Amino acid sequence: MKPEDLLFGVQDDTDVSEMLRRIRDSYGLDHVAYAGSNPVTGRVFGKMTYSEEWQSHYLANAFYNIDPTLHEARRSIAPVDWSRLDRSENFRTVFRAAHDFGISDQGLTVPVRGPLGDVGGLSVTTSLNVNEWQSLRREIIKDLQAFAVHIHDKVVTSDSPLNTIMAPQLSSREIEILQWIAAGKSQQDIGDILSISHRTVEVHLRSARTKLNALTTAQAIGRAIAIGLVHPE
Amino acid sequence: MLLVVDALNRHRFEDILEEMFRLRARVFGGRLGWEVSVADGMERDQFDALDPAYAIGIDDEGNVVSCVRALQTTGPHMLSDVFADILGGEPPLRDPLVWESTRFCVDTTRLTAAGGMQGVSRATCELMIASLETALEAGISDIVTVIDPVMNRVLKRSGNAPYDYLGKTVPMGKVPAMAALLDVTPERIKAIRDFAGIDYNVFLTEDEARDRFARRGAEVAPLLAAGQPMDKLQTYCLEQLSAASTEEERAKAIELMDALTAYARAH
Repeated sequence: MKPEDLLFGVQDDTDVSEMLRRIRDSYGLDHVAYAGSNPVTGRVFGKMTYSEEWQSHYLANAFYNIDPTLHEARRSIAPVDWSRLDRSENFRTVFRAAHDFGISDQGLTVPVRGPLGDVGGLSVTTSLNVNEWQSLRREIIKDLQAFAVHIHDKVVTSDSPLNTIMAPQLSSREIEILQWIAAGKSQQDIGDILSISHRTVEVHLRSARTKLNALTTAQAIGRAIAIGLVHPE
Repeated sequence: MLLVVDALNRHRFEDILEEMFRLRARVFGGRLGWEVSVADGMERDQFDALDPAYAIGIDDEGNVVSCVRALQTTGPHMLSDVFADILGGEPPLRDPLVWESTRFCVDTTRLTAAGGMQGVSRATCELMIASLETALEAGISDIVTVIDPVMNRVLKRSGNAPYDYLGKTVPMGKVPAMAALLDVTPERIKAIRDFAGIDYNVFLTEDEARDRFARRGAEVAPLLAAGQPMDKLQTYCLEQLSAASTEEERAKAIELMDALTAYARAH
């Protein structure tokens, strides 16, 4: 299933929890969580599929202050398999408690960085055996990268001060490509028209989707038209 | 052979990172004449403070011989800032599946020992393979890399030709700089491996990297271990040795130390 199909119909901009549940169920993961912070308001945002009991326990013990999957993992640029994290006192404290709630210490955090120094991370856990997990990881890593940024941007831009600062900054090339797609051209056609490789078209298109916080090209076109970047034929 | 250093393990490799910044000073500040700032013999910029990932090449003798730096294009990176001229003022790409690679360099003064294929060294090929394999593992689909025309020719000769370029080529100090696109695919990695005849794992474990790097100061160690007070002459010699940036300088520094040691023993 493609990422855009997976989240199809999730329209409510604040319904991150529903997105996380769908990601969990589609990929057969135990849990999915997003945590991020807004550099302007300082607001910390977290959503997760963990049980209410674990969430309460986590908050009551202020694990968010020491959780290495939050603080260490997001300083990487590559997704961090939790096997890479030092088995520090903090790690042991959080995961000893997590274990009591049936939560595995096998997982992965996909770090996200935004243009204003905003940071976040999408974490997944699984109790698959190591080999199954490695194979699933390879299969879904690109999707997780895309979801992580999508959810992060949704959360950060939902805070009003950033909404205006972060108006989408598309390049002329990206707008040009969206315009051609709105006119019904295929990516192959567009490559020929602009004399660039079809892979370059794909890279620009993905970048345009990211900037418009759209998972599908159709959504991106819709948003580009709505803000006057692209004009329907 | 390559060590990957990022925010999670850099506290274990500060000394290797410093050697890497010295290599960058010699290459970008010296040989290439880029407009970079060098302090204490090290070239660093604001992006080094943003927890990038580095692939660092360490040779058999423990010398840091190559490096490259990677940042996500979703956050602050060079094309969104200091290399903005290349894009002619256009906003840069922002894509979770594209990493930006910058400060790609290889210590060409050490290449004679390592050997080369059509002017492209094994160290260069190992570095390219390590960068692409690290990105592939992370689910990255493309790399945008800021390079000069010389590097561009190296990429083309070694099975790693860019599939396209962004923006235009602009002057960056003595040489022009350009932004090239590389797909992160098993096919590209295989092409470089075939070109260089590299069929082995190019990565060092953290322990292997430490062991290699420890060999670097091997000829200095006996002097220090002798427990003699460091007089001015000794300090001078050790400084010459650590400041040597070419094999020739290094050999001369060692020769001087040997000569002085022999003189001291004889008197």
